[in-house]
Amino acid sequence: MIRIESAPWAAMVKHAQASYPNECCGAMLGDTDGETKLVRESIALENAFEGAQAARYELRPQDLLAADKAARERKMDLIGIYHSHPDCDAYFSKTDLQNSCPWYSFVVLSIQKGEFHHANSWLPNFDQTEAAKEELSY
Amino acid sequence: MAKVLIPTPLRQFTAKQDSVTVSGATVGEVLSALTTQFPELRKQIFTDEGKLRSFVNVYLNDEDIRYLGKDATPAADADTLSLVPSIAGGAR
Repeated sequence: MIRIESAPWAAMVKHAQASYPNECCGAMLGDTDGETKLVRESIALENAFEGAQAARYELRPQDLLAADKAARERKMDLIGIYHSHPDCDAYFSKTDLQNSCPWYSFVVLSIQKGEFHHANSWLPNFDQTEAAKEELSY
Repeated sequence: MAKVLIPTPLRQFTAKQDSVTVSGATVGEVLSALTTQFPELRKQIFTDEGKLRSFVNVYLNDEDIRYLGKDATPAADADTLSLVPSIAGGAR
């Protein structure tokens, strides 16, 4: 399961709402204890997708590398990635799946008409063919 | 002996070490030595055919090895290798 503390959660929602009607993306840092993850900090990253961003996002690997370095410096772990789905539910789409990585939790925030609506966390498999829903609290 | 930074979810395969120092004259040799030392890591990084998984990027210090010499990129003692996934997506 993954639990997101109130401060990083508020920052993620604010980022997702501010990016509306485009998708946003970012990294989540915190602690892991076996299957239990606690997000203590979020880092907003630039959506680097070249093209319309209303339904697409892309992370630059070098930005993710910097987020991992930041986590190490703060004695935390890079736990997962978040992104928003403007005017869509927080499902894990085929595009999400085909461009995912099984190492991390993927939190999707549904933003409806500019306002936060709901969120889900997903754990994609190795073959990028399916993602299991992960218990999420915030 | 280059240092390889291990992403959090993969530390379960490296006896919880967040970095591992392994020998190798090139990036390919370093990764080979790493996955020989920690065989369970192999599946995480390489396909059954021995190629890097499509979502895995390897950085030598701050440079993507695809823009250097790929597997043949020389690795020196002071170098740090990072495994960085490619991540993208979208609602549709």
